Amino acid sequence: MATNVYMEALSPTMEEGRVVKWHKRDGDPVKAGETLAEVETDKAVMDLVARADGVLRQVAAAEGQTVAVGSVVAVIAAPGESVGPSVNAPPPVTSGSGKRDTGNVVTVTAPAPVAVAPLPAAAPADATRVKASPLARRIAKEAGVDLQLVTGSGPGGRVVKKDLERTPSQGAPVASAAGAAVPSPVSRVPFPERTGAAYQDVPLTQIRKTIAKRLAASLGPIPHFFLTTEVDMERASEARDALNKQLGDQGKVSFNDIIIKATAHALTKHPACNAWFQEDHIRYWREVHIGMAVAVEDGLITPVIRNADMKPLADIGREAKELAEKARSRRLQPTDYTGSTFSVSNLGMFDIDQFTAVINPPEAGIIAVGSIVQKPVVVDGQLTARRRMRITMSCDHRVIDGATGAAFLKTLKQMLENPLAMLL
Amino acid sequence: MTRRVLVVAQAGVVPYAEALEWQRSLAQARIDGRLANDVLLLLEHPAVVTLGRNSHAGHLLSRDGIEVFEIERGGDVTFHGPGQLVGYPIIDLTRHTPDLHWYLRTLEQALIDALAALGVPAGRNPGYTGVWTRGGSRKIASIGIHVKQWVTWHGFALNVTTDLSQFGRIVPCGIPGVEMTSVDRELGAGSREQELWDETVAAVIRGFAQAFGVETELLDDIQLLLTWRQADGVERKTCHGLA
Repeated sequence: MATNVYMEALSPTMEEGRVVKWHKRDGDPVKAGETLAEVETDKAVMDLVARADGVLRQVAAAEGQTVAVGSVVAVIAAPGESVGPSVNAPPPVTSGSGKRDTGNVVTVTAPAPVAVAPLPAAAPADATRVKASPLARRIAKEAGVDLQLVTGSGPGGRVVKKDLERTPSQGAPVASAAGAAVPSPVSRVPFPERTGAAYQDVPLTQIRKTIAKRLAASLGPIPHFFLTTEVDMERASEARDALNKQLGDQGKVSFNDIIIKATAHALTKHPACNAWFQEDHIRYWREVHIGMAVAVEDGLITPVIRNADMKPLADIGREAKELAEKARSRRLQPTDYTGSTFSVSNLGMFDIDQFTAVINPPEAGIIAVGSIVQKPVVVDGQLTARRRMRITMSCDHRVIDGATGAAFLKTLKQMLENPLAMLL
Repeated sequence: MTRRVLVVAQAGVVPYAEALEWQRSLAQARIDGRLANDVLLLLEHPAVVTLGRNSHAGHLLSRDGIEVFEIERGGDVTFHGPGQLVGYPIIDLTRHTPDLHWYLRTLEQALIDALAALGVPAGRNPGYTGVWTRGGSRKIASIGIHVKQWVTWHGFALNVTTDLSQFGRIVPCGIPGVEMTSVDRELGAGSREQELWDETVAAVIRGFAQAFGVETELLDDIQLLLTWRQADGVERKTCHGLA
């Protein structure tokens, strides 16, 4: 029998709570007493705790969403139990009354577990049932592909392995009617054709496995190490001034845009740093998607500039501005902030000289950017004032070794110090 | 009414990550009933900026004393550093009043009482949790809490002799233009640092006793409180680098 998870009141005057983070995802096994989600109200964050053992289903409140006290925000189902698509719009229950409406959940005695579509899927209930081979299911799960969006070529439209082997760039069989699937590129410039899959999976070697295990055991979930370098920003500043003069009122290029572009470029030359750590393999991306940390009112989020290496600076500037505005007004869609392969965090505007950023998993690296400061440096034996900026790269040692990270950072430094190098 | 005891442990200067781990362990022990009394941890952090996190990424606590922490809970940017008295009450609210707002207001009351005893008039600023001086124009203490199964952690940060220029690095608590202050600043020049610190600690402990209606017991050695962790099989963190 399924157990409802309610938005709880921790005060008679608390009427609603905002879900700030889910600790468990749809389909995760949960135990009674485990934290399912964090809810924020006023200056307090409280944990929503599982009241039963089972599998989390029907997560009906997204992170950032405010929900009335007493609403059902998820369901804990018994393993293998299917629950009906019923809690899409939980009716608010009178707060403080203690009344708990269990009629929201329909227990279906289906013999086999059925793939439950994540809410809010407005599709009819039978759309949740997709014919697919077990192998295809596994591949789709690992790749994060929604099987409902794949046209099956097997008997009776069954999705088989070969349907998943074609990648989106080669014209994937994506059902166009499904709409929401493919994020539309903002840039109108057609991308040069990339060949092959978007990434390459390389199995972990024995030494990589040992490094991963030992470093992770010693330092925490991600074994960070940090590399700092100081960059001369004189030429980047000149380039920026010239570009902005040319652009006029057509837009503005910021230092952050230049850093994003240079980072993306440097990554194409150092693909070893453009990777995800994935438990038993490392995914080296052939595409470069830069996550851009944006401070919002009560935290931060990293929207993604896709294919940043291929976009003109003006496009990056426009897109970065749009994404930052969307982030601040909480209008980002999941497709806006997922899928980055590397991140950039900039606290220069807070007058921070240098800092270390925390890696955004499963990415293997992040660049922390400090403020640009005029300081005395020696150039060709002469003491002179130059605009300088310190950047620090945090690396996941399971993926990137010291020399690998340093080589990337050197390229990045060169590109920033001589922006023309990006044209090479 | 049963006797309620608040164990007060002064832990000195503690890195942010370590204190966070203590709090989580102690709170879980309180939830599980392995910890018989409420606890108030009093400590200082080395300079650190904490940023609340509101994104999809998982646990991102860094463990090696870096300057900026992105932490996964909600809440605003804040600064901790030398001269700031940080208090983390691990309190089972079911033994008091199970009401989050009551807890926030009582926490404020404990600090307001403590500041009054030190000769600093302070009060609330409706709509802005924390403790303020000069009719709500300066903020002297910040509050941010976390509750699981009615047990609290996180808590307050009271500026005693904090270098207030450090707050210039951030927008404290996300309120633009807020002016931060400290006990030292409010009392004016002439106070001796160590004395002022000791007096503030004593006043805060008395403030808690009064506001929460508890008896306080001082614990000299924080490790006594944490010893059960070994019994739990939770190993102390050690650093083996890869050469």
